[in-house]
Amino acid sequence: MSVLPFPSFLDDIKEKGLKRALFEGINEVVERATAGMNVQDLREALRGDAPSRKPNPRLQPHADGFWLHMRPSYFHKSVTGLYPEFRLGWLSTYFVFFETITGIFLMVWYTPSPDVAYANMLSIMANVPLGQFMRDLHRLGAEAMVLIVTLHMLRTFLTASYKKPREFTWFSGVILLALTFFLSFSGYLLPWDQLALWAVTIGASMVEAAPPEIVGTNLNLLLRGGPEIGANGLLRFYLLHVLAVPALLFIFVGVHYYKVVLHAHSLPPGEENIGEDTAKRVPLDKRVYFIPDVLTSEIMWIGITTLVLIVLVTWFFHAPLEAHANPQSTPLGTTAPWYFLWVQGALKLGDKVIWGIVFPTIVVVFLMAYPYLDVTKSRRWAHRRLQLTIAFGMAAGFTVLSYMGLPEFGVINSADSEILHELTKEPAYNHVGVLLPVPYDELAPGMYITRQFQAEPGDEASVVSAFNAEIANGAFPVEGGRTLIQYLDQGQHLPVSSLTFTTAADGTALHEAMAEFSHMMELERLELRNGWGAVIVTEWQPGLKRVDVVLSWDDVEMRGGAPVLDANGDSIPRLDANGSGIRRVNSDHIFIHENAQYFAAPGS
Amino acid sequence: MNLQRLLVERIEHRILVGTVAFLGIMVLVGWIAINENGRMQAFQRQYEARAIERGAELFTANCTTCHGANGYGGARGPALNTPYLFGHDFLAETRRERLGLETEATLATTSEERKVAISERLVALEALEAPIRQQMNAAVLKGYNPDAPSRLANLGWGGGLPNFLYTTLVHGRPTSGSYWPQAMAAWAQRAGGPLRSDQLEDLTAYIINWDKGSEWTVEDLLAVQQFPKVPADGAELAALLANAEPRIGVETPVEEIMVGLEGLSGDVQNGQTLYNGVLACSGCHMNAAVAPPTEGTWTRVNEVRLLEPQFAGYTPEMYLAESIIHPNDYIVPAYGAGLMPANFGERVTYQDLSDLIAYIASQDQPIG
Repeated sequence: MSVLPFPSFLDDIKEKGLKRALFEGINEVVERATAGMNVQDLREALRGDAPSRKPNPRLQPHADGFWLHMRPSYFHKSVTGLYPEFRLGWLSTYFVFFETITGIFLMVWYTPSPDVAYANMLSIMANVPLGQFMRDLHRLGAEAMVLIVTLHMLRTFLTASYKKPREFTWFSGVILLALTFFLSFSGYLLPWDQLALWAVTIGASMVEAAPPEIVGTNLNLLLRGGPEIGANGLLRFYLLHVLAVPALLFIFVGVHYYKVVLHAHSLPPGEENIGEDTAKRVPLDKRVYFIPDVLTSEIMWIGITTLVLIVLVTWFFHAPLEAHANPQSTPLGTTAPWYFLWVQGALKLGDKVIWGIVFPTIVVVFLMAYPYLDVTKSRRWAHRRLQLTIAFGMAAGFTVLSYMGLPEFGVINSADSEILHELTKEPAYNHVGVLLPVPYDELAPGMYITRQFQAEPGDEASVVSAFNAEIANGAFPVEGGRTLIQYLDQGQHLPVSSLTFTTAADGTALHEAMAEFSHMMELERLELRNGWGAVIVTEWQPGLKRVDVVLSWDDVEMRGGAPVLDANGDSIPRLDANGSGIRRVNSDHIFIHENAQYFAAPGS
Repeated sequence: MNLQRLLVERIEHRILVGTVAFLGIMVLVGWIAINENGRMQAFQRQYEARAIERGAELFTANCTTCHGANGYGGARGPALNTPYLFGHDFLAETRRERLGLETEATLATTSEERKVAISERLVALEALEAPIRQQMNAAVLKGYNPDAPSRLANLGWGGGLPNFLYTTLVHGRPTSGSYWPQAMAAWAQRAGGPLRSDQLEDLTAYIINWDKGSEWTVEDLLAVQQFPKVPADGAELAALLANAEPRIGVETPVEEIMVGLEGLSGDVQNGQTLYNGVLACSGCHMNAAVAPPTEGTWTRVNEVRLLEPQFAGYTPEMYLAESIIHPNDYIVPAYGAGLMPANFGERVTYQDLSDLIAYIASQDQPIG
């Protein structure tokens, strides 16, 4: 008899022997943990055998357990394949949890303050083991989630799964889509780099346009915490990102999934008679039970998806981190995040209020209301020509609008600043200035000129020395009566006393970069009339070189951002009051350290 | 469809694919974890390099006017690219030996013979140092002291050089007009300046990157244009002033100045040195942003200013003399009053003023 007031495990051993007592003990623990399935039941399930006892123990966890009570105990066979759902809804849910877990890791290392947020990023990259890995996963997951949720909606539209009785499921799905967009967008600001600040500034400026003015102004103040995004704005976006929006998202995921289970997954359109919804009435031979089939399938999908994400961040994707946010300097070519490019594109069509506020609102309201508007009964492809046309029309429209949102479309910068930007820009969006990836050793100190590349082969040296003679004679003066040397020395703080250009050595990366530079000048020869470009490399500090890029050209008549052409298709030089041409100059400089390791931009 | 069969139909396949996927995850994460230290170090190295690049950018934009593009200093600020800042001692070896010997000579236990040997060695050391001191002479004339070769030690600064630079950047440097024409501003945003703390760190990294460690040469020292100015001994200063040529004085009316200038002929070369160097005129009179540009002054004076009624009877020399000694008597339209220091009367002699005027006249290029 036990010393304890109740039968103990030791009593069991005495009574049944160690082996049997142990087995029964384990069996009981497993059965409690699974809310109804013992070891034998689990083994049968994983082997794919039929259950050996009745009532079916595999239904027990659904009835008694918390975790599976929200999952159906069986599905229709037709909705468990890749088609028609492509696991998109499941994947969306996967990303909700994936983002939560990776996000919690990042939260440990992050403080939402402009003073330290960027330093936190550097610390995550440089001092936290697996810090970059988690950040890459979180960022990639965020972008993927936006894509997956959008595709999920598109699929639902195409198979007409929004029709009665699933109107509200669709409605809550549109809310989830909006929350997903906003979750991703609010996370954009947190690294507090230039990319973050300006993408969010563009996005938040849309809020400001909301009519009437008093609403727009105050909404903007509420969101940004001030006229500009600063400490308050960062804190607000952080709290929205980690608290408010996720809370809403979890609530609506619950609502959405409850409706999905309530009405069951809609069958492929061809499997039902028109106007019928038979998803809830699954014949016995069409049933696929959650345990074991769907459960093993989902665990397998967790493995596959996670593996794909990890492979991507190991070799193909790194979350961007640009220079520290600087409200005073707007980078050339700033864009909203890609999933908001369509709004940015629409804004180029006209009025800020109409295209920035009214148009997106109409889109969202249209999507929410659609199942209540489209009350036709048939889900067959052939009967839905109008709806399919709308779907593909919208997809095409958003693609075009997104393209229009790119800086390449409709934003006119002067050719000289474009070229300077192309040559010297810091890494951003996997692009980097042409000069930055030139290996440090090949960046030989000296002065180089694009004229070299306009010479006949073998003639380069004499063309360059002829150019030197021109410069020495005071050619190419700078506006204000200064010489080029004075411009560089006093204006650009580049200590030079003479300009002697040489040819870039063949076969070096510098030669290639200069050739690229020359090509850019050639493409813009109408606007940059008689133009030349120079690169001046100076040994600056131990391990640090300064690279100056100088452009000089004849000013031409411009209209609407393009040069005015004469009858021969040539540009027309602009003349000053004395009737002589005006020589223009523009320049920029960068510093390159031997350890800076600028990568060659993939795909450029 | 094969994919359908592999992933959907058979439970064995699902278990196999899932197991392989999880194994793959473990292998990859393990591989990443093993490489983490190397990756973090590489990132750190790359980040530090880019901090220097950004610091160079900031230095060029904000610091060059006073400290010079190469950091050799100028009329408005001391050199930063100098062995003095980094505390390099060119006489370190001989100094160490001499200090040892001198201490040994004072000990009671040292024999007389040894003392003789020591004093011989000390003479020899002096001879060894002599050529180096000779080389450094030009720097000494600019204020360098070879026997007090470390800026931080001279200041009694307790922290390291990065802290010294950072603190200076944050708060700036108040100064007396007798040392520098202008105080160094506070650069940190929290001290009312324009730069963020990470930018100050970048600047510090850039300045530290000038350090050549043990590779500093006397040539580097000689390239320095301006060493930090330290408060002079009062008695020395009085003696200097007693022997100095009399200054014009800030109160002297322009008519009297013109009398003083009579018979003096200006030296353009010296005028240029004063203009760009000690007096730092060119610091502001450079691109018409804060003050009228140097180029074309003479023509503008003749063709524009002297037509104003209050300058009736003025010669261009008179106008310039007044502008330099009494800058606030007349402000050129579009520029602010009170910006130009009004103490040049205390700082220049009549000859200096004559040289300055000659230099300005020589800069008379047509207005652009």
